[in-house]
Amino acid sequence: MVRKSIITGKESEMAGSKIQNNIRRLRFNAGEMTQQELADRVRVSRQTIVAIEKGNYSPSLELAFRFAHVFNTPLEEVFSYDPGHDK
Amino acid sequence: MTYQEKQNIVHIFSGVLITAIFAWIVYQRQLQGVFDLSRDFSKWGLVFLIFIGVSVVARIIIQIIFHIFNAIATREEEVPKEDERDKLVRLKATRNSYYAFSGGFVLSVTALALGMPVHGMFIGLVVFGLIAEIIDHGSQIYYYRKGV
Repeated sequence: MVRKSIITGKESEMAGSKIQNNIRRLRFNAGEMTQQELADRVRVSRQTIVAIEKGNYSPSLELAFRFAHVFNTPLEEVFSYDPGHDK
Repeated sequence: MTYQEKQNIVHIFSGVLITAIFAWIVYQRQLQGVFDLSRDFSKWGLVFLIFIGVSVVARIIIQIIFHIFNAIATREEEVPKEDERDKLVRLKATRNSYYAFSGGFVLSVTALALGMPVHGMFIGLVVFGLIAEIIDHGSQIYYYRKGV
């Protein structure tokens, strides 16, 4: 069963970020990985994971690739860019 | 509230407290006639050097106490490791404080050029140094909460 809160990167959209992410969904699909577990694997603090999921922080390219590596998925599956926010 | 937010609040309060106590002690010495800071400018150098030393030691002690209390309250002994977001927050906050201190310095020098006594400029530097520090840590709290 997929919970409503983890379906999309809606929160990052709400925060007005151009970069959206699917980290919550990917965490859930990866055996309900916790934020702390993900933080340890990509070598950042849990607060940074929270900020990225909320769309309050856009990670560096290196960190973005680390996420993709951890989830074993292409980068564009983890992050997407919405040019609509440029207008 | 995150560890970084609490730490920055402690920094602001400790900065204000240390500066206020030190300024009060110096002012009392001035009233007692131990030195005359309105004429003896070399004493300003001494006051600044002592202030830097006292401030560093007091902050270290306050940070240790904060860490102990935080560990007891949250039961998290480990300090969060600094990552790229922390560095970016710190960088932007430092930029803001630099602008504040630069503006304060220009104001102090302008006031000096307009005839304000020299010791007024030194007081201005202390005040704007404190304001810059508050802006530094206040900016960090803002960026941690609103995003960077």
